[in-house]
Amino acid sequence: MKLIEGLAEFGRRFRLLLVRRARFDREMEEEMRLHLELRAREIREAGAGPDEALYAAQRRFGNTLRLREEIRQAWGWTWLENSYQDVRYGLRRLRKSPGFTTVAVLTLALGIGANTAIFTLVHAIMLKPLPVSKPDELWSLGDDQVGGGGGGFRDDVSSYSYALYKYLREHTTEFSELAAFEYGFDMSVRRNGDARPAEHCLGEFVSGNYFKTLGVGVFAGRTITDADDQPNSPAVAVMSYRTWQERFGADPTIVGSMFTLKGIPTTVVGIAPAGFFGESVRADPPDFWIPLNAEPLLNRESSQLNRWNEFWLYAIGRLRPGWRPAAVQAHVNGELRQWLEDNYLDPRYRQNIPRQHIVLTSARGGTSWTRNNYADGLGLLMAVSSLVLLIACANIANLLLARSTTSRLQTAVRVALGATRGRIIQQALTEGVLLAFLGGAAGIWVAFNAARWILLLAFRGATYVPIDPRPSIPVLAFALTISLLTGLICSLIPGWRAARVQPADPMRGAGHSTRNSSGAPQKSLVVVQAALSLVLLVGAGLLTKSLWNLTNQQFGFQTQGRVIVAIALPTQYTHDRLGGFYARLEQRLKEIPGVVSASFSMYSPMDGRGWGEPVSINGQEIVRPLRHGKWPWQNRVSAHYFETVGTRILRGRAIDEHDTPYTQHVAVVTESFARTFFPNEEPIGKYFGIEEPGHSGDYEIVGVAEDTKYAYAKDDFDPMFFLPLLQEEGAYQDSAQAAEQYLTHYIGSIQLRVAGALESTQHAIRQALDDVDPNLTIRSVRSFNDQVSLNFTYDELIARLTTLYGLLALVLASIGLYGVVAYNVTRRIKEIGIRMALGADRNRVAKMVLRGAMSLIALGLLIGIPIALAGGRLIASQLFGVKVYDPVVFEVAIAVLAVCAAVAAVGPARRAASIDPMQALRTE
Amino acid sequence: MQRDEIPPGTLYMLILRSLDRGRELHGFEIARSIEHLSEDVLQVEEGSLYPALQRMLIKGWVTAKWGQTAENRRARYYRLTPAGRRQLEVEISQFERVMAAITRVIQTA
Repeated sequence: MKLIEGLAEFGRRFRLLLVRRARFDREMEEEMRLHLELRAREIREAGAGPDEALYAAQRRFGNTLRLREEIRQAWGWTWLENSYQDVRYGLRRLRKSPGFTTVAVLTLALGIGANTAIFTLVHAIMLKPLPVSKPDELWSLGDDQVGGGGGGFRDDVSSYSYALYKYLREHTTEFSELAAFEYGFDMSVRRNGDARPAEHCLGEFVSGNYFKTLGVGVFAGRTITDADDQPNSPAVAVMSYRTWQERFGADPTIVGSMFTLKGIPTTVVGIAPAGFFGESVRADPPDFWIPLNAEPLLNRESSQLNRWNEFWLYAIGRLRPGWRPAAVQAHVNGELRQWLEDNYLDPRYRQNIPRQHIVLTSARGGTSWTRNNYADGLGLLMAVSSLVLLIACANIANLLLARSTTSRLQTAVRVALGATRGRIIQQALTEGVLLAFLGGAAGIWVAFNAARWILLLAFRGATYVPIDPRPSIPVLAFALTISLLTGLICSLIPGWRAARVQPADPMRGAGHSTRNSSGAPQKSLVVVQAALSLVLLVGAGLLTKSLWNLTNQQFGFQTQGRVIVAIALPTQYTHDRLGGFYARLEQRLKEIPGVVSASFSMYSPMDGRGWGEPVSINGQEIVRPLRHGKWPWQNRVSAHYFETVGTRILRGRAIDEHDTPYTQHVAVVTESFARTFFPNEEPIGKYFGIEEPGHSGDYEIVGVAEDTKYAYAKDDFDPMFFLPLLQEEGAYQDSAQAAEQYLTHYIGSIQLRVAGALESTQHAIRQALDDVDPNLTIRSVRSFNDQVSLNFTYDELIARLTTLYGLLALVLASIGLYGVVAYNVTRRIKEIGIRMALGADRNRVAKMVLRGAMSLIALGLLIGIPIALAGGRLIASQLFGVKVYDPVVFEVAIAVLAVCAAVAAVGPARRAASIDPMQALRTE
Repeated sequence: MQRDEIPPGTLYMLILRSLDRGRELHGFEIARSIEHLSEDVLQVEEGSLYPALQRMLIKGWVTAKWGQTAENRRARYYRLTPAGRRQLEVEISQFERVMAAITRVIQTA
């Protein structure tokens, strides 16, 4: 109520301001005149003379001037008029000194732009709600991305088997809908009757109520419903709007037409709304959503749907209004443990049941995966960019201070003529805010371009990222707010100093005060800048060194002259067909001109995939995960694998052509595998198996390979073992285990060692694969180098941006120092003249100035070093092979800062040295 | 004749009251109306009417419109809004409360 009244009042004030002020004044005057005349006539009629009557009326009326001033104030015009004057005056001053204005606006544009760019990403990834109805009601069951084997027993449960999902869906009434989905998979897609080759697309299996849960409709056709998600339902799919537009030419006849997805005839029943990208903000969102019950059709023998202990799904629910998440979480956890109790009978598992829990996480902005991945980096970048802005602020404050000092005389005159402190401060603040708004406007342009560039860096290798770098309303509001704040911060010190001017001061001294205190705020600003710059430079140095260590570490493979092809086999390939296929593939790859050696395997180093398995030795299953919940890695490889990826065999032999399903089953293990499971023993000739103790004699170790990083480049080497592609174990008691091992015989990666340029072989490689089987899905063809470096996009991004921001800070701080030193020299011309007249030589004068500058920097360094150490501790978890107090990084940072400071100070010092004492003494 | 300055804080009430009776008045008429209603006891510092009227315009208690006087002179006429009428009630009850309290103080003395 109060607010509405206030708004109405503001409206009335504003409307009247729009009516011309002159007319208002005229009307006010007319109204008062009428009053006076009527009163005068009344008094005249009572018998007074005309002059006397007018005088009496005037006296009864009061002072018209004072009354009109009162009216003006009542309407709030005094303030508005003052502000208007200040803005006009400020703009005039800025126009009059274009050099100053350009430097200030550029500085602010960089500072504000740097912050707004990062905020654009923070907003898109951390804050923006999903484009669905009532996103606040959406909650994820779990806070992690890790799924797969043992998913039900990771303590922090985030992934679910289909059976567990159905159980939770039935037993939790707090959710109006509870949907399941999986991470997504590659598949080949062809529209029936289309002559074009199959497209490589991304699919995602989702429960029938997925769209209903998210509250998302369709652009055309219909969504998937529970009726589509029944065993033996015909396969259907919903296509994303973007895929429809970009890959299928926005063809309206798509809805209801038949496609072949992964070899299975599927009806596309609908097109999702424009802008809907699924339940997660991530690079390369799905092109198709397919009901869970179609999974056995598409995945055949490797289907996971009906395996009760295969934890491959994630869950998201829409909470009914009025439920507290904490209460719901407690209930869901009760149900989870009940289900585990009902299904796991093995006491080894049962003892862990009380520890299993689900964390209910808000899915307002989508699942937390991307948020978790980027939270640290974005936080760091936000901190770094705000430091840059602070340094920019200090620069602007310094420039404004210098200006306000030159205009002290003017200020003094204004004070003498009756300007209040408030008015003087208001005027100074107006000027600062004006500058900041100009800088902010330019900064929005900087931010848009920077955000686009950062997105490219951050999601290198992705074909599409559902993040729009264009400034949205919240981003604009952010830019406006920080501009306003920046403006106020910049002009506070200058304004405060201007307000302290005594009218007589500057007139008396005419700016020749020898007191040094007048430069104190400027000097402290430079000290602060130096300190902050050191912090940024040290941070940039640590992160850059860490990146160098990361990319130049001993990986255990060679990337030069190697190409990796990521592929997916068609599902028609049953086990019995694999042998023939692999033989043809090996033969054909060898025929590619320029190929020195070729191999293939489940996965290759640093390609983002992996396979962990517990192993059994001597009739004992090793059930505890090794480290960070990880098992030893299993890979299956063809002959020539090790030479093709460049991993050395240290002892024994590699896997070769003679290892067939019918020969002795063998394995090559890594050094750390040997060290972990056969400490102080000769591993060659020993046996081990996968999981069940009965299998511990399956494989004989025939070779030891050097340790190799396959993922987690920042971690230590993980134990790993390599098996031939087609050697199968006997029956497993646990059917899920058998099914899992079944999957390991399918290759996902081809490696080629090539002589000559890699690019030129691309076409030949694709041709060869097409010859072997046109139904192969080629997911990517990359140089091994690219594949490895894609793992470091995040570290590269952070290191590059902090370095960029560090250099920006350095430049700003140098400019700031230059400004202050130059200004001080100008101010001290007379003093320097006297010194020289008294016998100081030019060298001494130059040294004096340089010493002054360097002492400021030294003080800044002194303050900056402990801050940098503290800041380094905050990023310690992101560093690889670098100590927070790395002396080289600190030395380089300090040296760079000192050199820049010296360069900045040399100019003014030379100027000071060239002062002519006679002239200096004469200048007023 | 003894004339008294109006008590502080009652100017709004007096203006609102005058407009409440006479519907549309210009400034001088408001001043006169206050004098007449008080049988010439209360005297307004007439100029202060105008800032008060402007403040009441801002608050939305009155509206103003230019019109002609009986003698064909341009004058600004003020009129009460519903909000102004409500305000008048508030002011009166407030004034009565204060008056009653003051009266009690005087009578018990």
